[in-house]
Amino acid sequence: MAFVKKLAFNLFAWGIVLAVAFPLFWMLVTSVKPAFELFRRPPTMLPETWTFEHYLHLIERTNFLTYFRNSVILSTTTTFVVVAIGTLGAYSLVRFRFRGRESLAFMVLFTYLLPSVVLIIPLYLLLVQIGLANNIFSLVIAYTTFALPYALWLLRSFMAGIPEDLESAALVDGASRMGAFVDVILPQLLPGIISTALFTFILSWNEYLYALVLVNSDDARPLTTGVMNMLVSSFNIEWSLLMAASVMMSVPLIIIFAFLQSYLTRGFGAGGVKG
Amino acid sequence: MAAVVFSNVRKEFGSFTAVHGLDLNIEEGEFVSLLGPSGCGKTTTLRMLAGLEFPNSGEIRIGDRIVNDLAPGQRDIAMVFQSYALYPHMSVAQNIAYPLKKRGVPAAEREKSVAATASLLQLTELLDRKPRQLSGGQQQRVALGRALVRDPKVFLLDEPLSNLDAKLRGYMRVELVELHRRLGRTMVYVTHDQLEAMTMSDRIAVMDGGKLQQFAPPTDVYAEPANRFVASFIGTPAMTMIDGELTEDAGAWTFNAEGLSMTVGPLSGQAKSGPACLGVRPENVSVGEGPIGAVVQVVEKTGHENIVFMQLPGGHRLTARAPAMQSWQPGEQVKVVLDASHVHIFGSGPRGDRWNRPAQSAAPSSAKATPQIIASKNTKADPKAEKAAS
Amino acid sequence: MTASRNAQEAVSHRRHLMARNTGTLLERRYAMLGVMLIAPTVVVFCAVIVYPLLSAIYLSFFSIFTPTLQGDFVGLNNYAELLSTGTFWSSLGTTLIWTVGTLSLQILFGVGMALVLHQNMWFRSLARSLILFPYFISTVVAVLVWKWLFNDLYGIMNHFLISLGIISFPMDYLGTMPNAMISVILVGAWKYFPFVVIAVLARLQTIPDQLYEAAKIDGAGPIARFFDVTLPQLRDVLVVIILLRAIWDFKEFDLIFLLTGGGPLNDTQTLPLLVYQEAFALNDMGNASAYAVMMMLIMLVFMLVYIRRTRSEEET
Repeated sequence: MAFVKKLAFNLFAWGIVLAVAFPLFWMLVTSVKPAFELFRRPPTMLPETWTFEHYLHLIERTNFLTYFRNSVILSTTTTFVVVAIGTLGAYSLVRFRFRGRESLAFMVLFTYLLPSVVLIIPLYLLLVQIGLANNIFSLVIAYTTFALPYALWLLRSFMAGIPEDLESAALVDGASRMGAFVDVILPQLLPGIISTALFTFILSWNEYLYALVLVNSDDARPLTTGVMNMLVSSFNIEWSLLMAASVMMSVPLIIIFAFLQSYLTRGFGAGGVKG
Repeated sequence: MAAVVFSNVRKEFGSFTAVHGLDLNIEEGEFVSLLGPSGCGKTTTLRMLAGLEFPNSGEIRIGDRIVNDLAPGQRDIAMVFQSYALYPHMSVAQNIAYPLKKRGVPAAEREKSVAATASLLQLTELLDRKPRQLSGGQQQRVALGRALVRDPKVFLLDEPLSNLDAKLRGYMRVELVELHRRLGRTMVYVTHDQLEAMTMSDRIAVMDGGKLQQFAPPTDVYAEPANRFVASFIGTPAMTMIDGELTEDAGAWTFNAEGLSMTVGPLSGQAKSGPACLGVRPENVSVGEGPIGAVVQVVEKTGHENIVFMQLPGGHRLTARAPAMQSWQPGEQVKVVLDASHVHIFGSGPRGDRWNRPAQSAAPSSAKATPQIIASKNTKADPKAEKAAS
Repeated sequence: MTASRNAQEAVSHRRHLMARNTGTLLERRYAMLGVMLIAPTVVVFCAVIVYPLLSAIYLSFFSIFTPTLQGDFVGLNNYAELLSTGTFWSSLGTTLIWTVGTLSLQILFGVGMALVLHQNMWFRSLARSLILFPYFISTVVAVLVWKWLFNDLYGIMNHFLISLGIISFPMDYLGTMPNAMISVILVGAWKYFPFVVIAVLARLQTIPDQLYEAAKIDGAGPIARFFDVTLPQLRDVLVVIILLRAIWDFKEFDLIFLLTGGGPLNDTQTLPLLVYQEAFALNDMGNASAYAVMMMLIMLVFMLVYIRRTRSEEET
């Protein structure tokens, strides 16, 4: 009886989980079906013929690899810049006393919630003015607007979790403030830094609006607008190709999910959803 | 030359004053406890000495240097934290070596010092472990080792034993005293545990509300508490306090409260007629024969003695120590006598000064407004004498 | 050497005894270091956030033609216009429908899923990963997949619904109302409910078992236990989640823009889309800025509530 109950519950629970995951499953399946099989009625749940022609097509005959490279450069640079600035800033906000510290922390939280569309017009004007529009670097600057407050907020909360005594002990043991930071705080902060870096990377990887407004040449386009462009500009939509692109686009996420998921969960806790 | 001197040191956190104009002279080689309830300013005082907090005014000296502007690392101090503050990502050996490394000691020499310190504290087996693999007591010894390895001028200890279980705490008390005797270094020890302060210190600085209440050897703090706060804070079970009225008749003083009237004295020049408080420790109250009538309320049996809680007719409570073989039933009427030579008289208020004339051996303090007792010369010479003997 | 040191000491000695509240040298040096460490953050903040924010407000007093970036000062005209014409109000209405709709589904589904995942189910961590995935994939990917699912001729959605007998003809999910709004709300719920799941799940794990045991002893059934024990324990975290998600859903651009582009006939054009359209399709940046500022003012209420809550929580 207990087993039947358990079985029923598991069937129910997994039913929901699979329903939620179905679109992703369908994305995978579509990407390996040959074009003719797509239009079969009723649709086949698993491909009758497996093919990787769409992936090959994507790499050989579209700009996908350029977009991919752009996205990698863009997200990596943004992550490095933001985490470097943010780590120092968070250290200062949590462990130093100076005037204006409180209002600065307030500002960080405020900008963390600020809508991008408010900033995008002046940013566009600014970047056009200084002649940076239409290249990857302009996107790095634009991405800082959401990534830095976010990273600062996460890192600040990770930093606050490091016992103050550790730093005090290092100071008494003869370290300078920066020495204590390098010797004691950074090693303790490392999981938090990794977690923040992952979140920043994912945010940058997935960003769409800034990329749409600030870049309109294929050389500088990241994946989000690039792939979307493939949908809009193609005469008749090749769904298999788009699904293959979607899968490829999600590869970094799948890697993070497979190996580093605990860092993501940790970041959730620090990101202001406590209570 | 004093090892540590606080001159008129004041510390404010916003509108809250944590330490009010503290003056404290700690002799070289002395073991001094800063004792008081939580929030009394003792930890702030220690952290200011370490350079982790900054005084708003006043001056702190270590040896012949004013250290106000020196970074903690330049003050030639070592500190043991309540949380131990071991670096989690470093092994025990790396933890102990860290202060040496930061001072540019060559690796070979570092290794030798670490090995010596480790064997002193029986940590040799544990050198390769990480702090989280150690028990609380072992972590405590590593923290101690990290402080010892450098042979600093002054050791600062911030409630280092409070995270240990009772048995280990008793053991470590003895170890620390032994260590102090061997090293002969100045040690400043913060605690809220009067037993630790009483058993380990050369002198105790009792603090309350950010102010120094008394600075004296343990026996003096116990026998001649400077004021009512010190008297009630030190001693278990606590000193009985009875509020009443003091009257003078041709140099003879009488204390009156409901259910109690007795001649007291001799008192100092500070004493005056009016509201006052009588304090008496449980061991100076004998139950059996006497002029005072009381009703027994509770008898606590500890095995080697009985603690008798009684009530006087006026409602005042009175505590007495009695030998284990003497016992009473709750509700029983008893006769009580207080040992007049060990009765304390305090001015009114929670920190009323003690008005008894000081015992013959102590320095004259009757004229002083601040409740300080300068340590007699022989107590501070003690540790050195012992060191010379060993 | 000694003389200068003595002189120095004398000076510092005097300062410590006489001066009050000036801070020690060390304290000031630390404060300086703190300022230096935060300086890059402040510079970047000013350049890419404060300056654009202020100029957005400034621009909203102008009428600017986007391609030439030439403009005239028009004072409060943009605001007067947007408040008097219907576009802003109907867009605000659309935004509220979208926000309330998708947020309630996210909360409902998120809490339910968290309760399920909190039970002992088979392969729980795999289930958790699968649930979490929609939240982390790019909105672009989510939209492409859903557009494919929604495809009128070959989409599997129509196939499912027809074979289940719910509908008899293929449906247009994104091209007609109210289908478009419902679809957008559903896709939004699908994409963002994992956030609620994770946050609630983390809180559920901290509810002490004794509470449930005590409730059981008192004779509470599973439903009573949920309402009397679980829900009160979740209240605080739910308030935070709702505030945060309300703010994020309110400003959502990518998902709606990519799914419907605001259509059909501006029926799903929420405020962020309106700002985008004014600025980059209708080429009036001044007007667009006015919309953006108005939108920010509305959001400010939620943001201030959230910030106040977070700060008071930090102080305790």
